[in-house]
Amino acid sequence: MAFIVTIGISVVVFLYLVFLGYDEIKTFKDVIKIIASILFPMPMLFFVRFVLIEHFLPQNTDEYKQKNQKPAIFLLILSMVVCLGVMQLIEFITHQKLENNLIFAHLINSTTVSSYVLNYILYNNLKANGILSGVLLSLATHVFFLSA
Amino acid sequence: MNEVFIKKPEKNNATKRELLFTFQSIIVTGLLVFATLAFFFYNHLTIVKGIKVVFAPFLSVVPLLFVLSILRDLRKGFVEGNYSKNQIIKFCLITLCITAGFTGITHLLSQIGALEILLAAVMAILSTVFFLRSKIKDILGMSIITGIAEGIIIYMIFLF
Repeated sequence: MAFIVTIGISVVVFLYLVFLGYDEIKTFKDVIKIIASILFPMPMLFFVRFVLIEHFLPQNTDEYKQKNQKPAIFLLILSMVVCLGVMQLIEFITHQKLENNLIFAHLINSTTVSSYVLNYILYNNLKANGILSGVLLSLATHVFFLSA
Repeated sequence: MNEVFIKKPEKNNATKRELLFTFQSIIVTGLLVFATLAFFFYNHLTIVKGIKVVFAPFLSVVPLLFVLSILRDLRKGFVEGNYSKNQIIKFCLITLCITAGFTGITHLLSQIGALEILLAAVMAILSTVFFLRSKIKDILGMSIITGIAEGIIIYMIFLF
């Protein structure tokens, strides 16, 4: 369930980004850039899987969940705050809005969501799950609320 | 949801790695085609002599077939167990270097003005990928083709 909601958030963010940048998509070049930024994480993830294939796959039991609940929630909040801070800081330092460099937003979105899918399917690591959800949430918050 | 993705237990890790390697080379092939099309349409390449386009791919396909036919496998294949931390760091660094290198090479490709030369260059890269795919089945080969793929993508995102 949480999996589907997270994917949904990412899709909404993606659609919103395309909508935001709709005026800028004038040429063939911009379409190429968006496709490239979506494809960006794929080879990297295959490489990660190749290297870490032997990694354990924890059973999704109640015990495992209970043990990892607190660190995962902590990491979720921490990564959300840190990412929001970093994004605000970068915007402040470079005096540029993320909306003007949508390609980076696309990049963060696609990388996060595909790592999330990989982690969910193959490793089921709740802490990594927390971090990735945090990054995605902070991106969504930033795009939807803080940049009005 | 989860049950769908759990692999059958009889598959060992070496075959899984081989499968991943194959996927990766398919991705690289797709990216190269994509890059060629992008350059072709965006830079308005001209076809100087039509007959050259037909012959351009053979330039690198013929040596590839020759090499494939005479060479035995260079590496033993994929390892069954885990990689050590040092190995992982080493091959990640190799991947990074090749990514940087291929960003440059893609930049060179974008400077090419004629379709037949571009085709020949792309086919040369593709032949290298297939050579790696069939003879160097190893983490080294994997880091090289990952680097190629990422290099092309990074060029497309930031420099194109």
